[in-house]
Amino acid sequence: MAYSPLVVPGSADKSAATTKSKLSNTVVSSNAPTPEAGQSSNGAGNDLAEQMNEDEKQKYIKGKKLGEGTYANVYLGHLRDSPSTLVAIKKIKVQKEYTEGMAPDAIRELKHLQELSHPNIISLLSVFSSKDQNLNLVLEFLPLGDLEMLIKDVDGVRYGAADIKAWMGMLTRAIWFCHENFVLHRDIKPNNLLIAADGEVKLADFGLARSFSDPYRVMTSNVITRWYRPPELLFGAKHYSGAVDIWSVGLVFAELVIRTPYMAGDTEVHQVNLICQAIGTPNEDNWPGVSKLPEYTVPEPPNPIRGRDHYLGTFGTAGPEGVDLLMKTLILDPRKRITAREMLEHKWWSSDPKPTRKEELPKKSGGEAKLGEDLKRRPGILDDERSARVARKLDFGGMK
Amino acid sequence: MTSTGPLNEDDRYRTSTQYRLWSFTPQSLHTFRTTTNQLAAERVREAVRRAREARSADDASGTDSRSASAVPEGEVDCLTVEEELKLIAFYCRQTLQLGDHLKVPTEVKATAIQYIKRFYITNSVMTYYPPDILKTALFFATKTENHYFRLTKFAEAMSKTKPEDILASEFLLTQGLRFTFDVRHPFRALEGAVMEMNAMASGEIDGPALKGMGRKVMMAHGKAREYLKTSALLTDVYFHYTPSQIMIASLMIADRELIQLYISTKIPSDHPSSPDLQAKILETLEQCAEMLKTVEPSADPAPAEKKEISALGKKLKKCRNPDMIDLVGLQRAKREGEEGLDEKVVKKRKLEREQSAKEGEDLFGPSLKK
Ligand SMILES: Nc1ncnc2c1ncn2[C@@H]1O[C@H](COP(=O)(O)OP(=O)(O)OP(=O)(O)O)[C@@H](O)[C@H]1O
Repeated sequence: MAYSPLVVPGSADKSAATTKSKLSNTVVSSNAPTPEAGQSSNGAGNDLAEQMNEDEKQKYIKGKKLGEGTYANVYLGHLRDSPSTLVAIKKIKVQKEYTEGMAPDAIRELKHLQELSHPNIISLLSVFSSKDQNLNLVLEFLPLGDLEMLIKDVDGVRYGAADIKAWMGMLTRAIWFCHENFVLHRDIKPNNLLIAADGEVKLADFGLARSFSDPYRVMTSNVITRWYRPPELLFGAKHYSGAVDIWSVGLVFAELVIRTPYMAGDTEVHQVNLICQAIGTPNEDNWPGVSKLPEYTVPEPPNPIRGRDHYLGTFGTAGPEGVDLLMKTLILDPRKRITAREMLEHKWWSSDPKPTRKEELPKKSGGEAKLGEDLKRRPGILDDERSARVARKLDFGGMK
Repeated sequence: MTSTGPLNEDDRYRTSTQYRLWSFTPQSLHTFRTTTNQLAAERVREAVRRAREARSADDASGTDSRSASAVPEGEVDCLTVEEELKLIAFYCRQTLQLGDHLKVPTEVKATAIQYIKRFYITNSVMTYYPPDILKTALFFATKTENHYFRLTKFAEAMSKTKPEDILASEFLLTQGLRFTFDVRHPFRALEGAVMEMNAMASGEIDGPALKGMGRKVMMAHGKAREYLKTSALLTDVYFHYTPSQIMIASLMIADRELIQLYISTKIPSDHPSSPDLQAKILETLEQCAEMLKTVEPSADPAPAEKKEISALGKKLKKCRNPDMIDLVGLQRAKREGEEGLDEKVVKKRKLEREQSAKEGEDLFGPSLKK
């Protein structure tokens, strides 16, 4: 039977309900309607749902602003009863231009984060609204920045193949879990991979996510930040699968190794050109059906698919197994591209070097990072030529 | 694709909000609904008392007493839990019709109805008028199920409905849903089971018990789908059973013999506890099927039932919470904070609200534009 741990009012066993649920408002509901709620003097005032919301809001204290995204501001916060328990409060901005009610990004983020519970996916601890009916998402606080910061800080942060393997392992498990639950993330990129105090990488920002249970439903191809967007979306495919996320994962992998975005196109056309140069030109031979996609156009002359040697030359520090995995994530034809489950079964994970333990992973410089430790680490994977390339691209990071 | 069979509920289902927040024992569900009903009734009586006081004050000072026109005379006769449930069921059917009218996919209608049913666990129809809530729920479901519908187009398809009417209760709805929007339906599970049974029937995969039963499978599929599209939505089965249980129960109603054979292929007969296990599974499915059968898919409500609903609608009109009639006004006030407004605006809006309150009393709610 599908009886949930929801507790009947009166026989309330709060602790049982809390441990079963990551949503703290379960506790509120199990307390059921409080008499006070009914005695509210103003009919428009506190009804039950509002009372529950108020209780939830009261649990947190909002502090300084941590950052700003396109559709939300993020604040530091803490539990009222336990000031040392920090949280991030993501307050969804009211979008004046959007006149159709609750914005789609907020709906998607809520819908999916409420369901997904995994160590490598940011946890949603609670949701409440402030008095102006702004939505506030209480998220776990992830103080150590994101992967983009680490990649870009070439002088301050050195890391090696074992570290990359650890980060990639966490990213791959996150995306595997999404796909197992029929969720596409559709915006994987280094700055959506946040880092917890213990070094754990967490996939965040589900504002573009959607379920993909029905293979016949049409979906928009206008998703995923351009540099990480797979060829099928650039060609306007309306039916696609988890393979779109895998391509992005592959590009995060490539970027971790070379410490600069691998294919940083300025426009969609440019992005297609870069793919044709770096991977090879998609055609009916390597990808049956591709020429039927609505926006299929490729530059002349076509390039053959790059061979293993090319990848070994550019990404050799990842080792031959790493290169093999990378190549499989960047297969042009989405049907032939490796899946998240197959990625997890790849032999790279068990080949040397072993992934670094998360507590020992390099951290962003300044703040908590200990310079001495960084210096003791084996030299990073950069050579002069690559750092020069990074330097030219440094200010690309702020792209939205 | 899935590693666990349809009888072996996916562990993952247990992490879903549908299981964690929206599954109940029949007793606990009843307790919630009773509390909600009693609370709402108290508030209605209280609000009516206040409105009457205000009216007699107005009468005494000889001012315009229109504000209390919606307040009935005499003791307020509030709805019981059972009466509320009948009305909710009626409005859920209306939601199906509205969805058909707007040609939205089954998932959108199904999700909207679960939103309505979830919302009314902690909210009473006396407080929030179902004809308002159902439009909002259907519109919101188009968003959560990725079937975007322009708000203006959506409103235009219904009579006497402005876009702001639909948005006025959106936030209220999401709050009542406790900001959980994902609903797990049994439709996909049905397609999976049917595919498997077909493969067994044709001998493609092992399952000799079903060999040659392709036609039976096809018939059962059609009938089960009807149950899932109506009975499963209009009863409480989503609150008590998993999507797979609902799916199998609907197949069982369609063709008991076939489904028992199918179930037997899922439980290895050499398993020591096989008979016990099978009996236990069957018992649960039986209960689920009984609940499904309380609402037949095709049958229109009987004349007696229609009469009863109409009477309940009249009763509801007399016990609606007068403070909660104008949701558009309340919503606007909440967004802006009433203080900032000058008196003229407040007065004008009050008049508008009274007007809309009168118009909004059509029991049959959003009549459809043909
Ligand atoms: N859980 C968190 N813990 C700590 N800081 C966070 C957390 N979530 C977000 N931040 C900070 O707030 C900033 C804004 O985050 P948000 O997710 O809204 O937007 P973004 O990802 O930067 O941009 P976009 O909205 O375009 O995707 C981030 O850059 C980060 O610095």
